[in-house]
Amino acid sequence: MSASVPYADVLRMLEGCAKGHDIRRTTHGRRVEHGGKVYLDLPKYDDIEIGHIRKMIRHLGIEKDCARRFNCY
Amino acid sequence: MPTAEVAIDLKEHPIMLTLQDSISGNGFHARITMSGRTLMRQEDGKWWMYGVRPAGIAASGGNIEDAFLRFRSKYKEILFDIAQESRTFEDFASQVDRFFNESDADNEDERLWESALASIRTGACQPPTPFANLPRRAPEAYPSFIKIERVDAEAKDVRLMPSENVSDSYAYSFPKAA
Repeated sequence: MSASVPYADVLRMLEGCAKGHDIRRTTHGRRVEHGGKVYLDLPKYDDIEIGHIRKMIRHLGIEKDCARRFNCY
Repeated sequence: MPTAEVAIDLKEHPIMLTLQDSISGNGFHARITMSGRTLMRQEDGKWWMYGVRPAGIAASGGNIEDAFLRFRSKYKEILFDIAQESRTFEDFASQVDRFFNESDADNEDERLWESALASIRTGACQPPTPFANLPRRAPEAYPSFIKIERVDAEAKDVRLMPSENVSDSYAYSFPKAA
């Protein structure tokens, strides 16, 4: 069984670890921009498999120790 | 060390893939052909396919084929989203090129891809069981690239021939033949 994280917790992590980020819905997912990088593949669902969040964190350069405090890594 | 033990110890798997898509945009039609790199590993009881080139994409599945099919579907949906938000073909092409070539900030997956390939070469091992039936390709023979072509009535210098068709495929990275 793959672990999932509520979308609300992902938002809290972004607020706490990725100041100045931008997130918005697209037709098929969510687009997140931070630090000059764009991640186009965050799922649009209320519960998100943690692998997707881990990949977004690596892509955008979010501090992993910070993300762990929000159970997002 | 016996070859089988090397294979069993390999946790990261360097995968190469080839995809072609036909995408309608705002006033244009495009053909996108890419040769990319992904890293596969098991996490949380599932197989994950993490993008290396393009980097910003991930998909999971109960087995490697399922993970690839979901990765393939997500890749196409990203192209759909880019087309939706692009006013012109030039804008679309620029954004797709950025999506394909933008690396992860920490480059962790790319380093692991290179490290996994080096491990395979050092051990001269066979791909582990889930990958045994995949074709094998040498990365040197299939460099990563993306080609974005306009193929509508305003297209210039584009080849519209059956020989341009490319099948979806994924393969296990393997040493170049001696």
